[in-house]
Amino acid sequence: MTAVALSPGVAALILFGAFFVLIVLRVPVAFALGLACLPLLIYDDRLSPMVLFNETFKAYNAFILLAVPFFLLTANLMNIGGITDRLVHLSRTMVGNWPGALAQINVLLSVFFAGISGSSTADAASQSKIFIEAQTREGYDLSFSIAITAVSAVLAVIIPPSILMIVWGGVLSVSIGALYLAGILPGLLIAAAQMATVHVYAKLYKYPVYPRATFRDFLCSAAHSVPALMTPFIIVGGILLGWFTATESACVAVIYAALLSIFIYREMDLKRLSHALSETGKLAAVALFCVGTASAFGWMLAYYQIPRALLANVSTWGMGITEVGFFIALVFLVVGCFLDAIPAIIIVGTTLEPLARSVDMHPVQFAIIGIVSLAFGLVTPPYGLCLMISCAVAGVRLRYALKDTMIMLLPMLVVLAAIIVWPQIPLILPQLISPEFLR
Amino acid sequence: MTRLIEAYHRLLTRLMVATVAILVVPVSLQIVARYTQLIPSYIWTEEMSRFLFIWMIMLGAMIGLREGTHFEVDVWPELGRRANAALRIVSHLFVLVFALVFLYWGIKFVEFGWYQESELAELPMPFIFIAWPLAGATWLLFLGEIFVNNVRILAARDES
Repeated sequence: MTAVALSPGVAALILFGAFFVLIVLRVPVAFALGLACLPLLIYDDRLSPMVLFNETFKAYNAFILLAVPFFLLTANLMNIGGITDRLVHLSRTMVGNWPGALAQINVLLSVFFAGISGSSTADAASQSKIFIEAQTREGYDLSFSIAITAVSAVLAVIIPPSILMIVWGGVLSVSIGALYLAGILPGLLIAAAQMATVHVYAKLYKYPVYPRATFRDFLCSAAHSVPALMTPFIIVGGILLGWFTATESACVAVIYAALLSIFIYREMDLKRLSHALSETGKLAAVALFCVGTASAFGWMLAYYQIPRALLANVSTWGMGITEVGFFIALVFLVVGCFLDAIPAIIIVGTTLEPLARSVDMHPVQFAIIGIVSLAFGLVTPPYGLCLMISCAVAGVRLRYALKDTMIMLLPMLVVLAAIIVWPQIPLILPQLISPEFLR
Repeated sequence: MTRLIEAYHRLLTRLMVATVAILVVPVSLQIVARYTQLIPSYIWTEEMSRFLFIWMIMLGAMIGLREGTHFEVDVWPELGRRANAALRIVSHLFVLVFALVFLYWGIKFVEFGWYQESELAELPMPFIFIAWPLAGATWLLFLGEIFVNNVRILAARDES
């Protein structure tokens, strides 16, 4: 007996319906994605649950995703090896005399951290431990401290190197070198927006200030940090010059951080190393396991041609390039509330790509809009990983820091809008440095 | 029993740590081999790193269930201890289904690849595929423990 072929609408209803019900029942996202595929895999004669295995295997068997554990490991090595401490000190000599000193340091450290590691979750985890307690001790509000730590952590995936850019480049065939260059300016703008927010908060609530550091102090700590600050140049430069691939660059970052920790800063021991390895493996594995089941879910969507059916409607609206930009950002912002960024790229990025192409949006701009929107999703509930981590470190529920987080997101959304309206913001650096990557 | 599970858990964690540590090696070899004559450029480095990577993910996913680190979305208001345990039992029933699927079809998956060899190093593929049914079996074991704990909480009379 052959079952009637399902229409895209019915299949979508079953897939998404099952997924949402499972999520509400607090089934872990990775399992919910896999389970949601099951009814159709069993019902449809042309399919079998083997799809689940083939698709997860294919997802994990991809060299490109190796960058995820490598970047996490880099971040963990930075923390145990004394690199982070030096960068904190450097940040202090730079912005310590600004209003809201410690919070400014928090943001600036995220910028440095973002240039070395490509993982926001690692950033949130390590900086929450450093800053939340220290800030509240100095009289900052707890909810403000949690919010600024979580919000600044999203820079890690916008400023190169970035896990999301590697995944995006791999899934949608865009030059990762171009994406890295394109991410720099938007990332710095978002950091500036955050610092302005901190400034306003500090003035309103009279947050403390440190005495101005001497120029000598600044030079000394800058000198100490130079080897660490070289990392982004090695990584991005190495890719641009074709020395190594994006995944290999992540491995280079690991080796470089390890060498610095062992030979220059000399603060690593075996026990901390094994702890760093174990933390890395655990976080990378649960995140990537989810990528596997999300790939299976994405495969199901494609099999029933659901994306095409959804977009058939949208393309009749006759939107221009800017409207499409805002539409794409909106979709990614909403999806980012519920899904992890990597599965979101696999499922939604591939879905929206034809739409972006239909209005001649540059693939690099499309990627940056998507990645920045998804980065904001890291702090938006119910599934905002960075905010969840910061709240967990502080020992409060997610709701507690929500208001301040949303306030801080507003200026960042302005930057996102600017990226949509002026494609030059992401495109100018790649155009100047390596125009051949844009073709 | 709990102690046995604990020991098994620790073994899995050790193995996973080892995969992460070793993972750096083949990728570095690959880069070094490209630019120097020190070592020949082995073609299997890429494949080896991918296979270690698969094992790292599957081992980590097994451990993650027991440690409760798989990401969840929390849409519920603050629940009491018992309501929480009840919800956990329900959600883990679904995980149980998933574990059974991984075990049952996972075995077929291994049988299917029984005579396959990897393209480059000619490793027998079942070494890789077995991670799936093993994950299913491990989850079943851990789920048993989780169910017992939650039922105990649910059965406890004193609500304080």
